[in-house]
Amino acid sequence: MLLTTSVGSLPKPDYLMTARAQARKGQIDAKQLRALEEQATREWIQKQEELGIDIIVDGEQYRGDMVAYFSEHFGGFKQSELVRSYGNRYYRKPIIVGKVTRPKPVTVEWWKFAQALTTRPVKGMLTGPYTIMDWSFNEYYPSRRAATLAIAEAVRQEARDLEKAGAQYIQVDEPAVSTRPEEMDLAIEALGIVTKGLKAKTLTHICYGDFKTIGPKLHRLPVDQIDLEFANRDMELLQFFKGRKFPKEIGLGVVDVHSHRIESRDQAIANLRMALKVFRPEQIYVDPDCGLKTRSPEEAVNKLRICVEAAEVVRKELLNGSSNKRKVRVG
Amino acid sequence: MISTTVGSYPKVAERAYSTKLIGAISRWQRKELNDAQLEEAFRDVTRAVIREQEDAGVDLLTDGQIRWEDLVTPIAKRLDGFEINGLTRWFNNNTYYRRPVLTGAPRFRGPILAADYRFAQSCAKRPVKAVLPGPYTFAVVSEDKHFKQLRPFVLAMAEILNQEAAALVAAGAPVVQFDEPAIGFGLPGRQAGKTDIKLAVAALNIATQGLSATTAVYTYFGALNGALAPLMKANVDVLGIDLVSEPKTLAALKQTKITKALAVGCLDARNTKLETVKELHAVFKAVSKLVPADRLTVNPNCGLEFLPHPQALAKVKRLAEAVRTFNG
Repeated sequence: MLLTTSVGSLPKPDYLMTARAQARKGQIDAKQLRALEEQATREWIQKQEELGIDIIVDGEQYRGDMVAYFSEHFGGFKQSELVRSYGNRYYRKPIIVGKVTRPKPVTVEWWKFAQALTTRPVKGMLTGPYTIMDWSFNEYYPSRRAATLAIAEAVRQEARDLEKAGAQYIQVDEPAVSTRPEEMDLAIEALGIVTKGLKAKTLTHICYGDFKTIGPKLHRLPVDQIDLEFANRDMELLQFFKGRKFPKEIGLGVVDVHSHRIESRDQAIANLRMALKVFRPEQIYVDPDCGLKTRSPEEAVNKLRICVEAAEVVRKELLNGSSNKRKVRVG
Repeated sequence: MISTTVGSYPKVAERAYSTKLIGAISRWQRKELNDAQLEEAFRDVTRAVIREQEDAGVDLLTDGQIRWEDLVTPIAKRLDGFEINGLTRWFNNNTYYRRPVLTGAPRFRGPILAADYRFAQSCAKRPVKAVLPGPYTFAVVSEDKHFKQLRPFVLAMAEILNQEAAALVAAGAPVVQFDEPAIGFGLPGRQAGKTDIKLAVAALNIATQGLSATTAVYTYFGALNGALAPLMKANVDVLGIDLVSEPKTLAALKQTKITKALAVGCLDARNTKLETVKELHAVFKAVSKLVPADRLTVNPNCGLEFLPHPQALAKVKRLAEAVRTFNG
């Protein structure tokens, strides 16, 4: 109960950031870069074990953008020139130019590499079909729906292969779902294609967005667990779940990933206690709000540590509390 | 029938006018470039995007909004009463704007874009239009800690934008366009169809008051549903409609008494797929049954900055080509 987990991405250490820039300029080769990505992955696995995270991630040290990474490995995509995201920030938005295929497994080798380093379960981490579609241009499929369903097939193959390799948890992130509530049904249908028949525990992470309109459909997302940002809006999202018997497990963000400030342990404990008034203890997985890749490595470690410590304290309270009750009843 | 672009244009072009603006802005932020040096970088790109539009054969140009962070920041940061806050999603696009926060009475301090406008027109052989955010959209995408209700905020913005528009007309702008995506889309992050169209039209009437230039309102990103008829009564010469985001608007137009010149968004400026001349001609034909050709402008459905440069340029060329062959 109150198991802890990391959401997905973890910050890349300075030496890896430097190496990635050098690789882009052709100053180091793919093999040299790979060695450093492996080193960073090893360090993050070890760090998460030391912190006592129950279900860990490989930290995505070898990925850049969560959509671009899959578009580069799937067939049917072409990379674009720069598009502005905001301010002075630009990115390359993938273009679907042909039938989307998955010529070979994308993440499975990395998952095996990470899992071989630890006895704790490592989550398989995928980007969901709706998000890949929404964050790409589409020149090939006649509609957004057709593109999404085709991508779902490629992601399904990847999820299958992760399960075959032994992944007990498969997370399929859909951060774009909350931005177009009118397409929630499409996102649900596509995610269903990915998770159908999987025996592994399935999860999805959704960013905050337009919660009032997507909230009522959340329970229909075909996964076992939904991971949401609670901390960055002062836990107000709990109001939505109050009085509902939410049928799924909930990934509960108790620390904000967008802020440099490290929450106090007491704050995270208070967040968790608040959540326990709405969810059952065995329903809750404790984690940061979102992936931590935008924080410094030190901030990320501190935020993860707060999650683990808060979960421990509250877990103890619950165990003591319930044994007391038993005593009362027996007495 | 003439062609125009809507507003923004890619600020960087790896295989045309370069990506040097990215470095120039970062160096300026680190104080390694002074204001004049940054201005020179902006001017170089502005010249290039004006030339591209002219070479393609576009009739009515924009300056590409090369200096603009987004539709509202360039204005908000030069008015009294506003602070600029964190990033917020720009309607249903995967791009972000900085949300203006109104903390005191909004006030116009003096012309904001007139000098930029004069520069753009000085490098163009064809007319350049001036583009402003519309008062309704401006208020809706901002956070209001001052009025705490939409109506006085929208009307105050209308007065301010009217002063800015007058300055642009005085600088020589033959056309002033107000962008009102919130009319069609509804409020960002909420369901469409919640537009207070009466208020939006009242604000437009104030914003366009006394302007001795052609005035236009561009709605994009959404459906116009009940907004078409009230917009036909607004004090504005040209109504811009987005037939790409909502093709059903064409049917609605057929049911509406059209009393304005129309600017029809018929190329998708949010997807790279290039329309064929044949597809464009079909749209031109449909709308020219509703309005005489001399009251028709055609354009991409919104600003071109959502596209990478090669595809944006291809769309501009295709648009001009389709107009040329249609006009015969």
